[in-house]
Amino acid sequence: MSKQGDARYVVATDVGGTCTDAVLFAAGEPVRLGKALSTPPDFADGVLAAVGAAAEDIGLATDELLARTALFMHGSTVVDNTLLTRSGARTGLITTEGFEDTLTITRGAYGRWAGLTEDGIKHPVATDRAPPLVPGARTRGVPERVDYKGAVLRELDEEAVRHAVRSLVDDDEVEALAVSFLWSFYNDSHERRVGALIRETAPGTYVTLSSEIAPVPGEYERASTTVINAYAGRIARDYITSIQALLRGRGYDGPLLVMQGYGGLLPAEEAAARAVGMLECGPAAGVIGSRHLGRFMEDEDIIACDMGGTTFKVGVIQGGAIDYAREPMVDRYHYVAPKIEVVSIGAGGGSIVSLDPSTGVPGVGPASAGARPGPVCYGLGGTEPTLTDVMLLVGYMDPGTFLGGTITLDAEKAREIFVQRIASPLGMSVEDAAIGIYRIAAAQISDLIHEITVERGLDPRDFVLHAFGGSCGLLCGVFGAELGVRRIVVPYTASVNAAFGLLAADIVHEYSVTKTLPAPSPATEINAIYAPMMDRAREQLAAEGFADDAIALDWSIDLRYGRQVHEVTTPVQGGGPMDDDAVGRLAADFEALYERKFGQGSAYRAAGMEMTMFRLTARGLVERPRVETAALNGADPGRALIGRRDIFVEAAGRLAPADIFDFARLVPGNVIAGPAVIHTPITTIVVQSGQTGRVDAYRNTIIERD
Amino acid sequence: MDPITFSIIRHRLFRVIDEAVITLKHVSGSAITNEGHDLMVSLYRADGSLLMGGVGFLHHLTSAAEACKAVIRRFEGDIGEGDVFLTNCPYTAALHTSDIYLVAPIHHDGRLVAWSACFVHVYDIGAMVPGGFSPDSRDIFTEGFSSPGIKLVEGGTMRRDVMDTLLNMVRAPEMVALDLSSMIAANNVARERMGALIDKYGAGPVDEACAALVDQSETLFRKRLRKLPDGRWEARQYFDIEGETCRVLLAMTKEGDELTFDFTGSSPQSHYGINCTYWASWGGFFAPLFPLLCYDITWNDGVLRPIRMIAPEGTIVNCTRPAPVSLATVGTIQSVNNAACTCIAKMLSASEKYAREATAVWHGSHFAIFMFGLNQRRQEAIGILTETFGGAGGARTYADGIDVGGEIPNPIGRMANVETTEATFPVRYLFRRARPDTGGPGRWRGGNAIEFALVQHDSPEGGINYVVSGKGTEFSMSEGLGGGYAGAPCAYRWVHNNRARDAGRNVDPFPTSLDGMTGEAETISWGVFPLKGEDALYVRSDGGGGFGDPLEREPARVHADIEAGMVSEGVAASVYGVIMANGAVDTQATRARREALRAARLATPMAAE
Repeated sequence: MSKQGDARYVVATDVGGTCTDAVLFAAGEPVRLGKALSTPPDFADGVLAAVGAAAEDIGLATDELLARTALFMHGSTVVDNTLLTRSGARTGLITTEGFEDTLTITRGAYGRWAGLTEDGIKHPVATDRAPPLVPGARTRGVPERVDYKGAVLRELDEEAVRHAVRSLVDDDEVEALAVSFLWSFYNDSHERRVGALIRETAPGTYVTLSSEIAPVPGEYERASTTVINAYAGRIARDYITSIQALLRGRGYDGPLLVMQGYGGLLPAEEAAARAVGMLECGPAAGVIGSRHLGRFMEDEDIIACDMGGTTFKVGVIQGGAIDYAREPMVDRYHYVAPKIEVVSIGAGGGSIVSLDPSTGVPGVGPASAGARPGPVCYGLGGTEPTLTDVMLLVGYMDPGTFLGGTITLDAEKAREIFVQRIASPLGMSVEDAAIGIYRIAAAQISDLIHEITVERGLDPRDFVLHAFGGSCGLLCGVFGAELGVRRIVVPYTASVNAAFGLLAADIVHEYSVTKTLPAPSPATEINAIYAPMMDRAREQLAAEGFADDAIALDWSIDLRYGRQVHEVTTPVQGGGPMDDDAVGRLAADFEALYERKFGQGSAYRAAGMEMTMFRLTARGLVERPRVETAALNGADPGRALIGRRDIFVEAAGRLAPADIFDFARLVPGNVIAGPAVIHTPITTIVVQSGQTGRVDAYRNTIIERD
Repeated sequence: MDPITFSIIRHRLFRVIDEAVITLKHVSGSAITNEGHDLMVSLYRADGSLLMGGVGFLHHLTSAAEACKAVIRRFEGDIGEGDVFLTNCPYTAALHTSDIYLVAPIHHDGRLVAWSACFVHVYDIGAMVPGGFSPDSRDIFTEGFSSPGIKLVEGGTMRRDVMDTLLNMVRAPEMVALDLSSMIAANNVARERMGALIDKYGAGPVDEACAALVDQSETLFRKRLRKLPDGRWEARQYFDIEGETCRVLLAMTKEGDELTFDFTGSSPQSHYGINCTYWASWGGFFAPLFPLLCYDITWNDGVLRPIRMIAPEGTIVNCTRPAPVSLATVGTIQSVNNAACTCIAKMLSASEKYAREATAVWHGSHFAIFMFGLNQRRQEAIGILTETFGGAGGARTYADGIDVGGEIPNPIGRMANVETTEATFPVRYLFRRARPDTGGPGRWRGGNAIEFALVQHDSPEGGINYVVSGKGTEFSMSEGLGGGYAGAPCAYRWVHNNRARDAGRNVDPFPTSLDGMTGEAETISWGVFPLKGEDALYVRSDGGGGFGDPLEREPARVHADIEAGMVSEGVAASVYGVIMANGAVDTQATRARREALRAARLATPMAAE
């Protein structure tokens, strides 16, 4: 589906909360990176600026580059931003009579504590729900009822629907409507009829049906998803349309592909109808990028870390497979949509270092100084010590070379405030206190990674660690060693993680049917469930211009043990259609996956097995040029040695002299013995003693134990 | 102890518990642990004292400490590496027999360094009623298997004889086996992670950090107590069981940096299984104490040190064996929770600094409906309706209580979706919603309660059974604070032959309220009942308590409540004195009404002392 002719660039842009990143490349050319500040609410300005920055590297103006672009991929935080700033449409909800409060009572306390930290949860008197996106007064129950088998018990009262729509639109002035009925994922006829009645009664109202956006069990989460989509739907649609128009105006006439939280791309027209799909697509793209990089390096088991200014995020790739989040939330609202699991804690470069007022015990984050005022050493008015200031005090950052020398760090000020706020009250020297804080941050990160790998029944020692983001390279040598990972990779594209991930993504459509069948069941019964999904998928991908050989259709089925709550999505080996042997293999695969994930002895076979959801992942394989490798040179990094200074060496437990290198002068093949610091234009990489850093053919830095 | 190592070890101890909880949920796979979070994992020091409590059902933090101590006493000289002990005897440590504790010593280099303990409410315990809650039990002997301490795992090997004996006494032994394996797995994870922690930092420094952590909690808690005013605060809770009225009387005295909870004057023990043993009452007031007074302090033995309890023997707060206790957790424990919440809140609201931490009672009765029978797939189905965890928030001194907002003793409970319950049990909901006017009126309103109704649906036996262990139906248990009213009491109705009474007439087969149901509604509150044919079960939980005088509530807030359907115009007028006219507050009529209501109050004679 790429454009022919001299258009040969592939451009990927990711709009994050703080920065907009761009990555571009073409066959035979190196990868180029660009970065700009994000510009809400008109994000397009930041997009152009980032693309411009990358294009400058090739000596092209933005328009020239776009005219030569074959494919434009885009991820954006616009929907997350709509929720965070509560700037969506005035929305109403139509639901089953008798169950009008489902959304506002959030399954009891769930909506009150979900998304809080442990400290927040321990203090219930101080907790509240987030104000609902649709208050009770804009919810209407209408007579209708379907049962757990999908049988209609009570016919839809169409007159009541018309009345509800009119009163919501005329009296309550809603601009968007969400429709969510009980058991609609088994029988969507009532919801579809309401959709038609809304189009008749109030054309122009934005409508989302739960059976279309989230056809899965659980009425609270389904209604919440439907409401989020209705609330942000028009903004997402207008946003995508405006980016499309902007690109057209600048000479690009190829397709615009939009990133989804499940790690696949959708053509702009389809993405525009699924606002919830765009939630958290940046972190998802980061994990996809990590998997892609892993393929180049022949690593299938990866812990993908990303540490920026405010948070530390981590996703896990196992055997090349990625887990979906079980109970995703945006802000404090639940939604159900396939979304790559990325867990985060409030630990980033800007995280504020403080002493607990009552105990005097030091801690890092979760409060952050953000980009403004930022760390004390930036000299932008920051008055609270941050992790970045600590990095300076332990010798990892060079006041003169930060961000390619564009900012001179104020080491004196950072030291003065750190002494006053932290070191003196602790009765410690500046160095000891800074080392201590550094260790606390590293320990928090390794605890988090330990927990999320344990949650999946995994051992971090079997994994390779990818360190993305501006701050990760400063800490990964220490927490990576504590976790005992096989090796650490600081990717060349570390600072533009999400945009790089877009380059690696394919067009992916996810389909699913919810139905409970005993396992095993006859293969013919399963194939009959898939047949309509397969037809739809083929049609859709054909319409998007994919030939048969560029289409991959993967089947997977959710299974669980009877009377148990944990479901495991189990891939169908060899895809479909299935025969009875394949059904038997599926059950065996499920059992193996279950025990691996939930531990020995967790399998409960006495009540049999059930299949609960049938999933189809339809992939349109996007053609993209190969990333070029560079020839390997000698091991000696001497040409890049720019100095020597005292840095914190973990094994020594104190500051000790170390070599300092300039990444720009390192060439593939160079080997650096720790302890050492490598400054890149955007990040810093610390190699601890007992470790060796090596620059590979893609200019990634690989850190291994000696 | 250097503050850096202390900070790292403390954080890591949190994570040890987290990982053990994850493991427990994973292996158990049951709805009550995964949805209701009806579980607990905590760490204890070598002497069995609480080191760090996890967020779970908080009644158990102190009881599991007692379980550790009981095991230490009973098995002295016979506690080996890799052992796991079981106890569920309420007269030893547990709250009732269904709550099994597994406690496991953690050794390092052959030396006992700590304990881990966890609990789950097991699927069945072999009591007279499936699931354990037995309204008709008259002594502990009919409440199922009960052990004051038994070694279940020896040196890492399961004792088959013990396990088989236990499983031989319960219904659905495979489900109980899974409950037990989940707890063993959780203890294993806790042991491994503690071992790794000690390997890294050394046994000496870790023990030192643990001691410091306990001392730190004591220091901080005492400091907080000293900042609060001295005094004596009282609370009374009444509840009704089959015509018998029970009373929990609590006088909480604060002097300097110590607190005494005195239950003298509480009713003699009941012949129904609602009694608390000594340890159940002890856990019962700590459950609200931890989150209300120690929200920013590590929950451990240091918090226990300044506390004393007086609970006369032979009363419902310290019953004498063999009194029945199977309903303690939904019985007297709730009154102990509530009375403690009220006394603590009164103390907090007497302090300018801490008034914001005060709260009226949440979810006072903790109603529970326990189901058992065959489901639509002809499988045995035993379990609690998770609306129990729906709860209702008490009003705060600066904000309303949260409608269907949960409870204090289990900070992260939640209820299942209607669709989940309809797929698990052969039932259909007629409606489920927040019930207007149930939140205790006040300047700040208590959270509204939940109400719902069920009929059987597709049951292969024509119905299913349920246990009602009602209390709080005659007298509200969600007490208000500072002049706020109590929340509405809870209600249970067995609606007989819903639809048939008006046979031949135009009957609504889909009623969406109790009033809309056409059958005869019988008030029930205690016992085992069938849900069959066209009968319906209607349940209304109790609302949260209010804070302050409802006549002082800003009329705009009452108006907003009316708009949101949370308060009716009738109650707005009669209780809040707010008069509406044409969809707006009639300011003048409201002022007049409030004056009239105040005058009527002053004219009401005081109750005789």
